[in-house]
Amino acid sequence: MAFDVQDRAAAPLADPVPVALRMRPPEREGLEERFASSDPNPGLDITRNPRVARLVRSRKFQFLLILPNQIVFWTVIFVGLLGTAVPGLNFGAAITWYVWFALVFVMMVVVGRAWCMMCPFGGFGEWIQRRTFFQRTQKTLGLGRKFPEPLARAGFLIPVVSFLLLTWIEEFFNIAGPGNPADTSWMVVGIVGSALVFFLVFERRTFCRYICPLTSLIGTIGSVGSVAGFRTRDREVCLNCETKDCMRGGTEGFGCPWYTWPGSADSNLYCGLCSECYKACPEDNVGLFLQRPLTSVVAPRRRRADVAWAVVLLWGLVLYQQINATNGYASFDNWLNSHLHFPHYPNPVAYLGSIALLALATAGAAWGIAALLARRDADLERPGSFVDRGSRFRAFFVPIAYGLIPVVGADYFARQLPKFFQHSARLVPSVQHIFGFSGAHSPIYSTRILSDPRIVLVQVIVIAAGTLGAAWCTWRIAGRELVAVGRSALAVRVTTLGLVAACGVVAALLYVAMHAAP
Amino acid sequence: MTLIATTEAPSGTGQPRVTVLADRCAGCQECVIRCPVGALSMDTGRWIAQADDAVCVGCRQCVRTCPFSAIVVDGPMLVGPRAEPEPVQPERLVGDVGEVRRGFASWTEALAEADRCLACPDPTCVRGCPAHNDIPGFIAAVGRRDLQGAHEVLRRTSVLPDVCARVCNQAAQCEGSCTWSLAGGTPVAIGRLERFVTDTMAVPPPAAPLPGGGSSHGGMPVDGMSVGIIGAGPAAAGAAWALVEAGASVTVYEKDPVPGGLCNWGIPDFTLPEAVAARPWRQLTEAGVDLRCATEIRPEDLDRLLATHDAVIAAHGASMPMRLPVPGAELEGVTDATTFLQGAKAALEPGGDPVAFRAALGLAGQDGDPGREASRVLVLGAGNTAMDVARTARRLGLEATCVDWLDERFALTRPDELDEARHEGVEVRFCATVTRLDPDGDSGRVASAVLARTTQARADRPPKPLGGASEALRADLVVMAMGYRVDPTFAGTLPGTPVRRQAAGLADRHWSASGILAGPASAFADHYPVGTLALGREVGLWAAALPVRARVWTAGDALVGPSTVVEAMAQGRRAAAAVLDARPGRPDRAAPPGADRAARVLVCYESSGGHTARAATAIADGFTERGYKARVLPIAKVGPAELASADAVVVGSFVEGFVVAGVRPAKAMRAWLAGLPRLGGRPVGVFCTYAVAPKGALAAMRRALEDTGATVVAEAAFGPRQLKPEAGVSGPLVFGRQLARQLSVEGARGNGQ
Repeated sequence: MAFDVQDRAAAPLADPVPVALRMRPPEREGLEERFASSDPNPGLDITRNPRVARLVRSRKFQFLLILPNQIVFWTVIFVGLLGTAVPGLNFGAAITWYVWFALVFVMMVVVGRAWCMMCPFGGFGEWIQRRTFFQRTQKTLGLGRKFPEPLARAGFLIPVVSFLLLTWIEEFFNIAGPGNPADTSWMVVGIVGSALVFFLVFERRTFCRYICPLTSLIGTIGSVGSVAGFRTRDREVCLNCETKDCMRGGTEGFGCPWYTWPGSADSNLYCGLCSECYKACPEDNVGLFLQRPLTSVVAPRRRRADVAWAVVLLWGLVLYQQINATNGYASFDNWLNSHLHFPHYPNPVAYLGSIALLALATAGAAWGIAALLARRDADLERPGSFVDRGSRFRAFFVPIAYGLIPVVGADYFARQLPKFFQHSARLVPSVQHIFGFSGAHSPIYSTRILSDPRIVLVQVIVIAAGTLGAAWCTWRIAGRELVAVGRSALAVRVTTLGLVAACGVVAALLYVAMHAAP
Repeated sequence: MTLIATTEAPSGTGQPRVTVLADRCAGCQECVIRCPVGALSMDTGRWIAQADDAVCVGCRQCVRTCPFSAIVVDGPMLVGPRAEPEPVQPERLVGDVGEVRRGFASWTEALAEADRCLACPDPTCVRGCPAHNDIPGFIAAVGRRDLQGAHEVLRRTSVLPDVCARVCNQAAQCEGSCTWSLAGGTPVAIGRLERFVTDTMAVPPPAAPLPGGGSSHGGMPVDGMSVGIIGAGPAAAGAAWALVEAGASVTVYEKDPVPGGLCNWGIPDFTLPEAVAARPWRQLTEAGVDLRCATEIRPEDLDRLLATHDAVIAAHGASMPMRLPVPGAELEGVTDATTFLQGAKAALEPGGDPVAFRAALGLAGQDGDPGREASRVLVLGAGNTAMDVARTARRLGLEATCVDWLDERFALTRPDELDEARHEGVEVRFCATVTRLDPDGDSGRVASAVLARTTQARADRPPKPLGGASEALRADLVVMAMGYRVDPTFAGTLPGTPVRRQAAGLADRHWSASGILAGPASAFADHYPVGTLALGREVGLWAAALPVRARVWTAGDALVGPSTVVEAMAQGRRAAAAVLDARPGRPDRAAPPGADRAARVLVCYESSGGHTARAATAIADGFTERGYKARVLPIAKVGPAELASADAVVVGSFVEGFVVAGVRPAKAMRAWLAGLPRLGGRPVGVFCTYAVAPKGALAAMRRALEDTGATVVAEAAFGPRQLKPEAGVSGPLVFGRQLARQLSVEGARGNGQ
């Protein structure tokens, strides 16, 4: 037997304000259909486990994940600047380029935005912005500005551009070679510094969502991961919630730093796994859900053009990186530099031109499929923003680009393998070197986990797995979204799968041609 | 009549344009459910909001309520001009106490203004109103020409609509919180519409109790409960009204010969006509309230009252005038606002003698002779009371100068009142302070004041005196009108008063969601942070619902210090509702009223791993077995409303610390206990759960609760053995049963509910 303060008969002290509320009911039309394919299985909510729930509810949860990385990356900065100039013996360069980048891709493929959850760059900025390491504070430091609307409309394009820029800088200074370890330090300092500036000027994790060079990569490739992120347990509870503490912040948690509402999330694209919504929800209606791999590629009903363009641009970049590792590219780049009076590799015109050409070629293939196979009577034009506008080209290009995510992700992952298999063992002597032990003559320094032919084999296997994943995704996406607007279901499926296969074959052949070049 | 045009956006386009930022809109529908005109709906394919510009009126409610700032609205606000009747300009000010501010003269004006109301689904004006009047509800009734219905809507939350319509500072309350105002435009004239309702149809008297003692407004039978109320101001009126409607026997003790408190003697007739001010008490006495004027209750009389009444509501106000401690303050011709206003009121009433009053003060007026110099009244302060004094002085034929050390930008008076005063010839000097009052030779009577300049950079910083030359100002009478304070002798009897009206911690989430706290304060609201002020008032409102000591509640200025008529009235109603809810009884009564009602216990806890939550549930089960109504809540969900609605409270926390060091209640529990309101006399049980030893955790919780005036009747600590699931949480269950037995219905009430 319980009493309710809102029950006037039982409690005349009920607040009179609710009597004056006449809010419209939330719209529910098409709700079930909209989220049917993307809602995770309730049984895969790992926060049903009391131990996990207790861990995730703790305010120290994310802090304890960020802290070790924070220590590592400040060590990277200092050791890179003050330590030995030998890259393989410098802890800063060794851990960053031999181990960390490969691990980030493993986390991406398996989990999604696992790195974002523990990222020391965003974490550092957020600590300063919130003026605390982990407590729920009420006042933030900084200007708290909103990211300008015209830029926000571009969605993933800004982080893609920042990733292209960072990659070019990294290639120009041979940072990831790795070259001079101090350059690695300066790069990390640059990322931390720019992150801090954005955290102090703008609200929430504007940097992570709109600027971070890695966010487009992790966001797109992470959609193959098996963690759906924090989602609603019961959407009806979320719809009826009149406070949205998960978005605005509640007593126990901040509002979502990533601008995501668990009640409408249909992929792990923008879930930074920070758990703030889980803590903030007063109804305990948010859970951390697992999902089958590739679900966030296939399931979302709303496909975004910025994501599609990000995928093909990232695809163009990784193909460029493969091509420039082949024997013939260096002479082309030198030839171009001599004519354009640019000092050395990589020539920016060749860099951007190649990426654009490869991205446009991929988009062009999608355009060709649309031109050939789109139903003439289908009304595919739809007004809207850059992210959501509809057209015949977009009706094919956007889903096809989503379908390519697994092979693009596999390509990026395979690209990191040579350094990992050839040099990751150098991490041990680099750690010892900090304390004055060991050196380049240590037997571990020269240890390779795999030989070059085996590395190529692993790369080809990774590409094959990615291609198979992409084929499966494309088959499902085509069946659900393209067949309805195509003139022939068979032709649509054959051509889209053909594009996936072509991408896979090109990537695999390039790896064979690269001979495990790092 | 002046028409105030709506604020036009710089773009100057004819239609608002709504942009939903597709990248950031999460489809939460906060904008959809709150849009007053239904311009927003869902694009179900993309599951983001979409707007119909043709329907949008540009009120920007969506902008304020979107949690992710994903909506931008450009363009004008589509709302008609606000009708603003100009104040009455009497041809001859001297002796004229006619009402200055005008209401709507016709239905046409009222209907046009009512039409400006958007009837917001989540009306911020309701939150901005201290009484939480259903403003869209009564305006809709006006729109239907249904004055009866408008009165019924207002009556749910207010018994002084005619008074509030005249004396409320609507710009800082309901009108400042109107969605048009929050958007930077001109709000609906809520106060004038309220006045139109009460001017056109008389405020109905208190409803007779239903047969059997119940109230027609949703209360429960009270079976002859006797309640004593100290004071007869607006808080007392609000409380007495609710009690008498519920069938209680109400006795009001007023020290003045006439009821009304500040409304009677503190607000001049030209702002609040006497007939309006007297209306509530006339109706209350006709309804059976035993009004005993000229009966002062001192703190030492409280126990005597408690022996006579089942409950006492202390609403004695804050009537002690504050005085400026400057040299010369003791001179003859230096008085306070209360004395001046009370004398002037009598002098200006029909049959009064203003000349004799002036003469008694040693003052002379022009009296129609332009060559004759009128005496000058120097008013210290430039708040609303000071304006009343100065404007009254002008009506007595005197010159009046107000001096205030604040900067005019941060003045405490209402801007419209300041304009009216200046228009009536009152000189108002800001950034000036009196450093000395000088006598006229050896006469012992004040003749001049020495003024020094001050400067004030920010509203939250006190002004600083500037050096340099000072100025002497002739002053034939000095009236100190810096405001009032609560009689300090009551502080010992009513612990915890006055309550500070400042909301601590995270703002109430519903208030945040409504948008009242978003954005900068508007110019119409005189840049008052209307949302923050309103949230602060909630602290006082809920403090009125909780007893300060056994069977004693407080309301109005006595509770929170000098405030407003509407706030006092709302607190009085809230205190009365709390009395009716708690059903306290004198110890000598055989059967307290409502004794058949099941007692209610609130078990609140702070749990980390679930042990404390399970223990709390088991304790509640123990209470339920004994016939209690039990409610179990985590402390994060326990606010004053929950505490006020419980006859007894059980508080439990897990214990944190390192085995032997730093062992204490959980941090969240400590913070919660530190922010508790007064729980005067309320019986409380305390428990904690621990892994190794509770050490001083229970004692710390007990001390914190006793500091609030609660009576801790039992405490228990539960270790791992009692909390094992296989043990069936028997320890907490037994504790709940024992506590329930201890807090028998009579015991709980005897302790002062």
